[in-house]
Amino acid sequence: MSDARLWLAGLVALPALVIGASCFRVDVERLRRLAVASGVAMVLAALVVALSPPLRDFSIRTSALTWIPGGEDLIRIDTLSSVLLPFAAALWLLTVAVTPRAALDRSGLRRTALATLLTLTSFLTESGVVLLLLSVASVWTFLSALADPAHRYQRRVVAVYLGASTLLFAVGVALLVSPGVQNTGIETVAMWLIVVAALVRKGIVPFHAWVPEVFDHGRLGPAILFNAPQVGAYMTVVLIVPRASPEMLRTIALLALGTAVYGAGLALVQRSARRACGYLFMSQSALVMAGLDCTSVTALAGGLLVWLSAGLGFAGLARCVLVLEARRGRLDLTSYHGGYDRMPLLAISFLAMGLACTGFPGTLGFIGQELLVDGAVDVFPVMGFAVVIASALTGLAVLRMYFSLFCGRSDLPAHPSLRLGLRPREAWTFVALVIALIGLGLAPRPLVDSRFDASDEILGVRQERVSGR
Amino acid sequence: MTLDMPSIPLTLLVLVGVGSPALLLALLGVASLVNRPLPERWTGPLAGSLMAIACAALGMAFVVYGMTETGPQLLSYGAWSASHEGGMAIEFLVDRLSLAFAALSTAIAGVVSAFSNRYLHREAGYNRYFVLFAVFVTGMLLVALAGNVAVLFIGWELVGLSSALLVAFFQERPASVSNAFRVVSVYRISDAAMLSAAVLLRHVAGTDSLSLLFGGAAPTVGLSATNATIIAILLVVAVAGKSALLPFSSWLPRAMEGPTPSSAVYYGSLSIHAGCFLLLRAAPLLEQASAARLLAGGLGAATALFAGMTARVQSDMKSSLAYASLTQVGIIVTEIAVGWYTLAFIHLAGHACFRLLQFLSAPNVLHDLHGLEDAIGDHASDRGHLRVVRSDRARRQLFLIALERGFLDRILDRVVVEPFTGLAGLLTRVDQWLCDAVLPTRLPAPVDGGNQDE
Repeated sequence: MSDARLWLAGLVALPALVIGASCFRVDVERLRRLAVASGVAMVLAALVVALSPPLRDFSIRTSALTWIPGGEDLIRIDTLSSVLLPFAAALWLLTVAVTPRAALDRSGLRRTALATLLTLTSFLTESGVVLLLLSVASVWTFLSALADPAHRYQRRVVAVYLGASTLLFAVGVALLVSPGVQNTGIETVAMWLIVVAALVRKGIVPFHAWVPEVFDHGRLGPAILFNAPQVGAYMTVVLIVPRASPEMLRTIALLALGTAVYGAGLALVQRSARRACGYLFMSQSALVMAGLDCTSVTALAGGLLVWLSAGLGFAGLARCVLVLEARRGRLDLTSYHGGYDRMPLLAISFLAMGLACTGFPGTLGFIGQELLVDGAVDVFPVMGFAVVIASALTGLAVLRMYFSLFCGRSDLPAHPSLRLGLRPREAWTFVALVIALIGLGLAPRPLVDSRFDASDEILGVRQERVSGR
Repeated sequence: MTLDMPSIPLTLLVLVGVGSPALLLALLGVASLVNRPLPERWTGPLAGSLMAIACAALGMAFVVYGMTETGPQLLSYGAWSASHEGGMAIEFLVDRLSLAFAALSTAIAGVVSAFSNRYLHREAGYNRYFVLFAVFVTGMLLVALAGNVAVLFIGWELVGLSSALLVAFFQERPASVSNAFRVVSVYRISDAAMLSAAVLLRHVAGTDSLSLLFGGAAPTVGLSATNATIIAILLVVAVAGKSALLPFSSWLPRAMEGPTPSSAVYYGSLSIHAGCFLLLRAAPLLEQASAARLLAGGLGAATALFAGMTARVQSDMKSSLAYASLTQVGIIVTEIAVGWYTLAFIHLAGHACFRLLQFLSAPNVLHDLHGLEDAIGDHASDRGHLRVVRSDRARRQLFLIALERGFLDRILDRVVVEPFTGLAGLLTRVDQWLCDAVLPTRLPAPVDGGNQDE
């Protein structure tokens, strides 16, 4: 089985299998079991692809969708995407394994599988046109998750923001793939349109208002699955970084830095746990964006690492909030809810994943943020200090949430029949995620090396394009 | 400073010294994570044994180092992560100061471990306490032996986190938890200052090696006087936060919410002195930055006066001891700023041991005192508050300031917390307005809808 096509087919087939099964009248718990099994298989298969050098060097090129001589990779597995595949698979597994039973339905499972399929295929292409089509599909999937009457307002907010983003992206890509635009003002306009589209999609200030709204009043589960993989970051790496001018990158990096501090600061004072998650996501996502736009190998590698650590850590943290909500209802952060003694594993997982988001030593986030600060400070000295402030505020926000959600006198009834502890499937998923975040933090060399290789490749492509001009 | 090649026994001894508490952390942490915490009958002896091993190893390392009479040595244990600029290395800087402080830390940790084993017997959070205690000891040793900024920062963060979580040890009490949040807020300022110093150091000098910086080689690594001063001032701010110097002193009495052994080891003996130790380490840098030195001396002296006064009017034993401890910390910082390094270290070591004993024996002393007061039917002693001040009016005002702990909490609230929360609240409303501006009417949720909130 050394053919990359077979592995790719397998990776795509697993979520497709769940989508297919969800069209039949299968019992929801059975469908969940199938989704969990598929998720585990997908993580393992994606890991094989990531760890096997022959499988990492595969591409199908075409010149049908671009003016670039020699064409572009319609489908490819390279150093960058090979690590993103297990990342996308892990997010899907996390989602299907810990979704509370009360919130589980066939259409939801179908949507999660479809969203994963779209994320996975996005990570496998460098074609702007294909990315656009996948982006349209993923926004539609997200909107369909907000279709119920209770979320009409949020659906409209998302439709306006992400619709505008998709439209800008479409116009930008259309201009970019037009013949004869290379090195003209049209290419610059196209790039700016794509940049704004990416900024909206990633919730960068001032295009961010939809993020806290959809986290707070929308549906948190679909919001996590839509946002945590950070397809906007992938758009940036593939379409923006290789082509953008230094001024453009500097503008993006400064906006992203401002967002990182803004999001972390506002997460610290929120009353609603969901809204705090929204701002935390904004902050983390912006840190990734800042790293990607630094044109320093080290900062870019740091950004790529923070992408993984913040994605997994944040998704885990938000999932902990959902699991807790399933036991307690909506969570506000203005009082202490207690319950550590009845849910110690959930509390430990929440803390560990929150600390991974803040870049605490011993977690993968620490290495990522160190590299980010290290590399970025040479390019934009102010950036290093902004990352420090954002990290300090994020740490405070996470600890405030932890104290509020798990400490204090328990407001839960003490009836012995009320089971609050995690179910085995939830417990093992959270433990595995925590072990992954800490394990990769304690032994980060292979992943760090791979991210350095990826950033070398990305900046190599940029160098080629710049010298070609 | 000339760095000599490390001898193998020293490398091994230091590794065993640092590795023992890290092993304890790994064992207890993994067991807790899989929801199978070790029973008390294993945890206590395990913690005690590993602390004893660490203490013996670091004590032997101190002796070996003294016998070989070599200069400071940089022990390298490989690269933790790599980068094009060299990456993050696990390095320990070994000299008399670092080994003495590390050995002292493990000795104190061993005593506290044995005490805690009995003190927290059958306490619900027994296992959690020892996990956090292992985090703390590992962090302290990393701070003591750090050979580069990354290792120092890791230790600094571990000490901070474990401290905050131990303040919230009795987590069913809201006061403990809110006090822990206050503590961690100040610690984050300290951490940010420390990390900013590290970032600046890397940016201007291109190195994060503490052996160069703390060995007095700042000019040789291209550090100008201005940059050296800024880095030193950032370090003083970091130290002020960690050691509760003014204006950050208000977190110290709040930190007394934790169990007595943790109060003893953190705020009586080790954590509170971590800042002093860092200043001692950074003495060569301070000597090149007179503004930072002046700042440290001023903060130390002011803190000593303030804490000395405040300690006299506290109504509970632990707060009184905490402020007494802070008085000595202020004096130690002043000694370092003046340049009396040897005296400062002897003072630090002596005070750490003495205050540990006071904290640990405080519950028994109180118990005996209550028995004595019951027997004589009156208060056992009346020390008199601030009697050294002759004027009644001045004494009353000083008493009020001391009783209110310098109004530091209120000042911090007015100057930092309220403006910050006000601004953040305003920005949150602006964010909501940005949505409403796009869609003018917020649609009401239907009564029977919205069950799919997940």
